Amino acid sequence: MRGWWRLGKWTVLIMFLHIIAILIFTKGFLLTRTELAHSSRCSDLSQSPCLSSSSSCWTKPAVDRLIIVVLDALRFDFVAPSSFFEKKQPWMDRLKVLQRVALKNPSSAKIFKAIADPPTTSLQRLKGLTTGALPTFIDVGNSFGAPAIVEDNFINQLIQNGKRVMMMGDDTWMQLFPNHFNKSYPYPSFNVKDLDTVDNGCIEHLVPSLYEQDWDVLIAHFLGVDHAGHIYGVDSVPMIEKLEQYNIILEKVIEVLQNQSGPGELHENTLLLVMGDHGQTLNGDHGGGSAEEVETSIFAMSFRDLPPMPSDFDSSSCEAARNICISSIQQLDFAVTVSSLLGVPFPFGSIGRVNPELYALAVGTWNLEKYKTGNGQDKKTLEEWMQNYINVLCVNSWQVKRYIDVYSALSVIGFSSEDLFHISDLYAKAEENWSYTKNLLLYKNESFDTSLPDLKRQIDGYFNFLSYVAELARSKWTDFNLKMMGTGIGIMLLSLYVHFLAIKKVNKSYGVSLPSSRDSGISFGLIFASFIVVIRACSLLSNSFILGEGKVANFLMATTGIMSLRSSFMKKKMLLEATIFLLLTFILRIAIEVGLSKQAATSQFMSVSSSWMRGISISQPVWTYMAEIVPILALMILGYFLYKAISSCCWGIPKYVIMGTILSYLLIALHWATESNILDLAHLLKGIGKSCIPRTIYAIGLGQLSLLAFGQLFSKEDTSNYKGSLFVKMISILSACSSTIILLLGKQGALVALGSMVAGYCIMRLEGIERHTFNGAVGISSLDPLPVVQWSLLAVCLFFATGHWCAFDGLRYGAAFIGFDEFILVRQAILLTIDTFGFSHILSVFGLPLFVAWPSFFNQTEHRRSLFSIKLFQIFMMYGLITATTVTATILCVAIQRRHLMVWGLFAPKFVFDVLGLILTDLLIFLASIYYFSGEEDCMQCDRGTEIEEPFG
Amino acid sequence: MNEKEKNSLSRISSSQVFLTHLCCGLALAVGFWVAHNVYSINLISDPTNTLRLIWAIECPVVILLFSCFRKKPEKCSYLKAVARGLVGLPAGALVNVLGALALGSPVGLQYFEKTIIWSLLMSLFTFVPATSVYGSSWTDWHRIFACTKPKGSLDFMLCLPAHGAVIGAWFGAWPMPLDWERPWQDWPICVSYGAMAGYGVGMVGSFGLAVMRGGQKQIKAE
Repeated sequence: MRGWWRLGKWTVLIMFLHIIAILIFTKGFLLTRTELAHSSRCSDLSQSPCLSSSSSCWTKPAVDRLIIVVLDALRFDFVAPSSFFEKKQPWMDRLKVLQRVALKNPSSAKIFKAIADPPTTSLQRLKGLTTGALPTFIDVGNSFGAPAIVEDNFINQLIQNGKRVMMMGDDTWMQLFPNHFNKSYPYPSFNVKDLDTVDNGCIEHLVPSLYEQDWDVLIAHFLGVDHAGHIYGVDSVPMIEKLEQYNIILEKVIEVLQNQSGPGELHENTLLLVMGDHGQTLNGDHGGGSAEEVETSIFAMSFRDLPPMPSDFDSSSCEAARNICISSIQQLDFAVTVSSLLGVPFPFGSIGRVNPELYALAVGTWNLEKYKTGNGQDKKTLEEWMQNYINVLCVNSWQVKRYIDVYSALSVIGFSSEDLFHISDLYAKAEENWSYTKNLLLYKNESFDTSLPDLKRQIDGYFNFLSYVAELARSKWTDFNLKMMGTGIGIMLLSLYVHFLAIKKVNKSYGVSLPSSRDSGISFGLIFASFIVVIRACSLLSNSFILGEGKVANFLMATTGIMSLRSSFMKKKMLLEATIFLLLTFILRIAIEVGLSKQAATSQFMSVSSSWMRGISISQPVWTYMAEIVPILALMILGYFLYKAISSCCWGIPKYVIMGTILSYLLIALHWATESNILDLAHLLKGIGKSCIPRTIYAIGLGQLSLLAFGQLFSKEDTSNYKGSLFVKMISILSACSSTIILLLGKQGALVALGSMVAGYCIMRLEGIERHTFNGAVGISSLDPLPVVQWSLLAVCLFFATGHWCAFDGLRYGAAFIGFDEFILVRQAILLTIDTFGFSHILSVFGLPLFVAWPSFFNQTEHRRSLFSIKLFQIFMMYGLITATTVTATILCVAIQRRHLMVWGLFAPKFVFDVLGLILTDLLIFLASIYYFSGEEDCMQCDRGTEIEEPFG
Repeated sequence: MNEKEKNSLSRISSSQVFLTHLCCGLALAVGFWVAHNVYSINLISDPTNTLRLIWAIECPVVILLFSCFRKKPEKCSYLKAVARGLVGLPAGALVNVLGALALGSPVGLQYFEKTIIWSLLMSLFTFVPATSVYGSSWTDWHRIFACTKPKGSLDFMLCLPAHGAVIGAWFGAWPMPLDWERPWQDWPICVSYGAMAGYGVGMVGSFGLAVMRGGQKQIKAE
């Protein structure tokens, strides 16, 4: 093993560095939160120390009906009067009706500045608004890709408690709440250029619905402002038109509601909320955490005259000239406040606090009678209000504490113990008061004046507790930790340096083997290869290039192919290989475009691509037959090649392994044949079932791998023909892996396998051009990185050409269930990983020895064996370096773009895929180095006299 | 290299190089001018027709001019050079189409015409001058395009603008996938711009080299 360790330690060191860097970066960047499936129930309240009344659930309902009008991307300055800002801009003061109402009835209508939490994208915000939590990019939960909310939320509570919810507008709600609404009028939201469909749909249904009795909560989500911002920006005519359109419709809504707000009428006890889900920048972007993006607005209006709220809790900033006040509210508080107003249990995972001002706007309603008796009763009402509010806060705090406790108990990555201790401490303090205050409330034997300070102290205690929890949660779930991200990037760069050093070092320590003809080491090939890698790395800065990554890789691969063609013209040989390689790039490119069109169907960022594919109708019988037969043919060809390989140069274990693969191929062909409709074999094999053949193939694959490992440990290999044995080793491991991968990838798998084999052959042959001309005598040239770059680009292309893309909906979940029907996480995850990374990583890494081991060079002069292994090692290192460079670029770009609109939709998934791919590549290189180098021990020693101790470690 | 070739190469003076390139460049400019002022179209509003117009103006200029520099003029008549330039045009276009397809130009009937007309223009930039000058002489082609070892001003005049056009087109393709939603991002508008820019740079380079070499020769002669 010592021989292996000489080279292998580098792979271990680099893998270690990568893992550390990625862990640190991820901890700073990918904030994770565990979703809990618990939900609150009415009966839970008995566990709390708070007062409960038999008639109501958690809190006494204050409003009967609720209308939520969501105006997507509503900036704060769309709503607030322009006098609040330094300069009046054209888009301000367009929603005049809201300002007018707020000015006229300050006690029943109010404009709030609502602060959203990043990520400020509609989906995450709606999730946050309804659950009262802070959604992160990775909400670890059962929903494996589907966006439907599994956490307890406000809508869910409404349904549980028999409220009827009606929804109209943005269909994101339907994704989040697939079967919650009694009645819904969803409209497609993905077409950003369409400013009107959603809005017109809302307008069509909103006003007529106000006369209906068949709902308790009505949600109308308008999208026009968001889209107008994305397309035209805030300072534009379409935006102002949209705002004016909203003004008219809101005016209408308020008028209808006011007309029906008399006693006993339909909207006697209705609350109207007009709110934004997030803001937007002047360019119409949102997603990040800048003030413009997080500041949105809530306008609340109830249709009753209410007592003014106690000034102690007034957070509003007033504008003297026009006598209009604007308060501030956290969006986090929305779910719990609205729940308390409607009298439903608070969502289990909510960490918000019942906002006193919003609460006050509506809560006056139930003691309205007392209020009317005269002004002398003001104090009485205030006291009443405070008592109610204290009890609501008590329930609120108890619920938050319960959530924190359950979360810390269940989540792997919970809060630190100090934080938990502090939380408990604050809660205990608040509770200490409570037992006293409770008596106060129950027996009411003291006058109000004496009890007021107690009540206030109680409220302060709860506020302290709740705000501490919210702050803690924010720091854990919404803030990027820039220090950690920076450290991660630093370590990543260091690992690149180490990688580079490893290549240099090995180069130097075996310097004898390297020809001095190109001693500087800087050849055209090297420059060109670095250029390709760098330009690919830079392309990751743009979201468009990430979306079209397959195309970019293909473009670069075609460029290298053209360069190869040129050099083969120059040398006047291997023209055929170069042409075939270019042809393959073309075919791959078509496959990538098919994959992209699939992606466009689901992605919110892509428009549907070119339409040439629609011309080919797959339904034609010729195509069906082709689609059935061609893959099986390809499989047969692969099998034939393997058969030829064993008949010429194999013995012992490899022979059995390859024979096993051929058997697997036959089984796969049989499997496909049973699935197809052409041959009516389906019922013939019914008894055995569909799952039997795949399972056999998995078993054969495992058997082959263990056989190889066994052979690795115990068999003495033939040292005379190292190249030959390396080739046999490579063929056997590739064939052992291939059958499972082909099976998982389905029919395209066989074609892709054949294609990548041919491409590998071409790359290898084309590399040979250089080798022959420059170093005909030496046999091993100084390494030309271009073929390795080509090989890694080919791997990237294969990833995309096999219908994958870097998003969670790009995973082919179907592959995880080939041969199995029931879901077992580990097993299915392994299958999914093999499917996703099979060609692009597993086969690519194990296939790397191709460049040194092809048997056509057998007849060259005999070389010292160590030279081959050094070259092989360098190839591995170089491949690793290329992958690591790309991933480092991804990490850097993600860090740079962390406030980008698409950071969660696009950059973060790309980051996750790349990082997983990198670790997998490292691991595979490690395994491959063990596999290919473990027989080294003696020869490494005998070839080189002295050993070179590495300087670090 | 035999004496005759040397003679034919040395016939090119830097002023000839300048005039040739100037005419080619002017033809491009005239093409744009006519498209803009006579037909009031441009590359963005109507790429197919604009490219066709530019091509129609550029094509005779390039073929007629470069046929003057044909190799071995005593053996090959001017008309023959023009004829082989005309034959080289579709052949070069085919090579350009294949290259573009390999690199990912859109496939489809609605792009067919654009691709064809673009490749004809590219053929004018890249292969047609060389066919007019060298015909099907494999060694010369090999020297200029495969090994990139041009000898003499004439070779530079063929080699640099051609490479410039290809490299320019390659870079011109980069903005295509960006989501800026600008009309010029469509195939083949920005690629054509890139190619023309590269062609221009190549021409300037070739002229610069011709001047330098001319200067060196004069010094030697003195």
